[in-house]
Amino acid sequence: MFLSDPALGILMLVLFIVFLMLGFPIAFTLMALGVGFGYVTRGDTVFQLFVQRTYSVMANDVLISIPLFLFMGYVVERANILDRLFRSIQLAAGWVPGSLAVATLITCAMFATATGIVGAVVTLMGLLAFPAMLRAGYDTRLAAGVVCAGGCLGILIPPSVMLILYGATAGVSVVKLYAAAFLPGLMLAGLYTAYVIIIAMIFPSRAPKLPPQERAGSVFEVAWALATSFFPLAVLISAVLGAIVFGLATPSEAAAVGALGAVLLALAYRSFSVDKMKESVFLTARASAMVCWLFVGSAVFSAVFALLGGQQVVENFVLSLNLSPVGFLLLTQAIIFVLGWPLEWTEIIVIFLPIFLPLLDNFGIDPIFFGVLVGLNLQTSFLSPPVAMAPFYLKGVAPKHVTIDQIFAGVMPFLAIVILSMALLYLFPEIALWLPSALYG
Amino acid sequence: MQRFLLAVDTLNTFIGKLFAWTIVILTLAICYEVFCRYVLRAPTTWAYDASYMLYGTLFMMAGAYTLARNGHVRGDFLYRSWPVKRQALVDLILYFLFYFPGIIALIYSGWQYFYLSFLLNEHSSFSPDGPMIWPFKGLIPITGVLMFLQGVVEVVRCTIALRTGQWPERLHDVEEMEKMILEDAANKSDAEAIGRGSL
Amino acid sequence: HAQASVKLKFQSTWPNKDIFHEFAGDFVRYVNTMAGGRVELELLAAGAVVPAFQVADAVSSGIIDGGHGVSAYWYGKNKAFSLFGTAPAFGWDADELMGWIRYGGGQALYDELVQGILKLNVVGLLTGPMPGQPLGWFKNPITSPDQLKGLKYRTVGLAADLNKELGVAVTILPGGEIVPAMDRGLIDGAEFNNPSSDLVLGFPDVSKVYMVRSYHQALECFEVLFNKAKFDGLPKDVQAIIRGAADAASSDMMWKAQDRYSKDLEVLKSRGVKVMPTPEPVLQAQLNAWDKVIANLSADPFFKKVIDSQMAWAKRVVGFRLEYEPDSAMAYNHFFKKA
Ligand code: NA
Ligand code: NA
Repeated sequence: MFLSDPALGILMLVLFIVFLMLGFPIAFTLMALGVGFGYVTRGDTVFQLFVQRTYSVMANDVLISIPLFLFMGYVVERANILDRLFRSIQLAAGWVPGSLAVATLITCAMFATATGIVGAVVTLMGLLAFPAMLRAGYDTRLAAGVVCAGGCLGILIPPSVMLILYGATAGVSVVKLYAAAFLPGLMLAGLYTAYVIIIAMIFPSRAPKLPPQERAGSVFEVAWALATSFFPLAVLISAVLGAIVFGLATPSEAAAVGALGAVLLALAYRSFSVDKMKESVFLTARASAMVCWLFVGSAVFSAVFALLGGQQVVENFVLSLNLSPVGFLLLTQAIIFVLGWPLEWTEIIVIFLPIFLPLLDNFGIDPIFFGVLVGLNLQTSFLSPPVAMAPFYLKGVAPKHVTIDQIFAGVMPFLAIVILSMALLYLFPEIALWLPSALYG
Repeated sequence: MQRFLLAVDTLNTFIGKLFAWTIVILTLAICYEVFCRYVLRAPTTWAYDASYMLYGTLFMMAGAYTLARNGHVRGDFLYRSWPVKRQALVDLILYFLFYFPGIIALIYSGWQYFYLSFLLNEHSSFSPDGPMIWPFKGLIPITGVLMFLQGVVEVVRCTIALRTGQWPERLHDVEEMEKMILEDAANKSDAEAIGRGSL
Repeated sequence: HAQASVKLKFQSTWPNKDIFHEFAGDFVRYVNTMAGGRVELELLAAGAVVPAFQVADAVSSGIIDGGHGVSAYWYGKNKAFSLFGTAPAFGWDADELMGWIRYGGGQALYDELVQGILKLNVVGLLTGPMPGQPLGWFKNPITSPDQLKGLKYRTVGLAADLNKELGVAVTILPGGEIVPAMDRGLIDGAEFNNPSSDLVLGFPDVSKVYMVRSYHQALECFEVLFNKAKFDGLPKDVQAIIRGAADAASSDMMWKAQDRYSKDLEVLKSRGVKVMPTPEPVLQAQLNAWDKVIANLSADPFFKKVIDSQMAWAKRVVGFRLEYEPDSAMAYNHFFKKA
């Protein structure tokens, strides 16, 4: 061999980044590199390693809640709740400046939280809220930014699949992560809303008031609309989240009860059928397979990386930079931000975070706090060009005259708000850490 | 040949969809455990083992089905913009270089892993009455075989795309909401374009 | 330096900050210094290559060259495995278990199980005797055996079978999840191992009742595994160095545990933890439950063979100690418990 083991480890990582761009399914690219480098250095025992790591993903008790939350999400998504939800919130928010945009943000936040599926939220709201805002004379860029940014909130606000993946990868309690991400999630949604209201007040032309005939008739009408759409979903989300955060149930228990609740809710709306059940079940299987096979690939990759001592090289390198904890945080968050341009959040969490996580201890950084920062940061991976799922989805359903550049321009202020939130969180870590410490001491 | 391809596609789709229903069993099993624990104050001893086994079965048995739907995530920011023939050529090479060696290892070593567990009549170590664990381990080589067959089908798809410059159609199936909506939107704008006579 | 150094990957099964990982590191240090560079163990963090419960499989198949854990972890393969660590409470302590392993036929039975029955490609060194383990951490003190019925409780190995006999709903959780689960009321009680580990894992944050003196795991020892082909391939003197290092680390661990466990129990008390003895009716119920566990599992001839051998040893050796040694409590009370 010309190269030492640790050098091979680094080569493996570099090759992964190169091969990633060839567009082959990532799970199998990881598998191939892990098995390949393992074979060169450790012989055929690597085949057993691969099998045992596969088994460890199969028996991973943290990941059980992923298919359950996905199932709950698909059921809610296919139950035609979104229309009613948006209309009722729109009625209730009629008096607020920029009411349509505010209603869009709240609907997005809620729906994204219940389903956790970004693409569905953005496209559905792109069909529903986006044209409504354009008809009402809203600035195209503002309307686009609201739909895209709102649609991504679901990956941060618990119960989020992203936080489960982080918990499984970092080996920290998903429950504490949920408690920690709750206030920052609300803060981000609140800042988005505040931004929209301020814009509507300063530049009324960008977010004009609704004509009177489109506002609510009576308090009763509003209350009824909310009671039949907003509250059932709110109760479902709070029950799931409350059960987890207040320690009444494990995440997988809460997810299972949530999935059952979603089916009952959909039945109550008379918008569920055997076909929709089948669709939800099949999509759950495919989405779970997608995420879990990524874990299988990364499990063998990271095991071989550890056997080769690659992690040690990375660690020694980072430690040799003599970074302060702030410097380390800035560096890692900047790397995650940049990775978010071409990549999606699943790959970043499953593949790249394991390289940073063992370093946290050296800098005295709480992995839960780091997880929430990552969660905020990953919002940007959906929004930032060139690969930005949310703007692309919106472009796909938007009227032809709306250009992708307009959408990106509309997203920029919201990207800035994400970065502002990260700064706030860094300056006041209590935003994340207060709730878990209040709940769990 | 064509019949073999369709048969494999159909087989894997059938198996994936059949085992997809484990999500419903998983949901009900955990809800039952929640009921026993919180209402009856008498937790079951099998819920923990049952839950990871159902979850593991779900995603393993859906692996080939997901591949048949092209559902495994790709880092496709460059790939997406390539012509079909280049996509197909790169995929074809990488199926042989990346995919098959690992999947063959999964079959061969997975069988050994399962067989040892079977000989020991291995039980779960997570509870005093742990259930047998070897049937669950047996899913590894089974999944390997299904993935291998699907890989062959994908290779043939690549060769067809290489010849014709078009990706062959996949079986029709339920799609993600955004994909359906986007396709609808694209069809509608095509229709409008036809209406205006510009296509 | 004529001989090239053999580098072996050695993975622990313990959380990084746990004193058990430190004990694993001590063993590795002994080997590496004593072998003068002819063999070099590289200690990997728990889970670095495989998860804790897969270390035996991984060592057997050669994925890693060695591992540090306890035999109770493999009891899904064969319940007799647990006997070579956390055996029934016959009145013996872990040091007397080590004596059985060396001079009572224990090692031969272990080798028969591992290499003969289970066909694992491993060499196992049993080392590091541990003092008796606390019944654990609870929301409320356990005052009677009835209180254990329906209680959700975390333990491992044969202690799981024992607690099942007592009507306990036994749950197995990964080490790092025990404390958060207890905090949320998911489990009502849990044990891990010793004051130092329990302190680091954060038990005093979630519970203030620490019930000590229990028969569920009155004795236990570590198990150091090596891949058999790798181990047999080492020069005979290097093999002897590794065995010697295991013994050296074993004694060192006993002495270090005296120091650390006693200090950390005081730390626990200073943090408001109430340390209470397990009441006698519970202890008696545990012994009765051991009878049932032994009777049930003795249906397996190999299990019975090991139990018979252990009982013969314990009967003689513990009997000797009780007859021969003075009562340590009397002397202790004379000097330290004066009114
Ligand atoms: Na991006
Ligand atoms: Na214990």
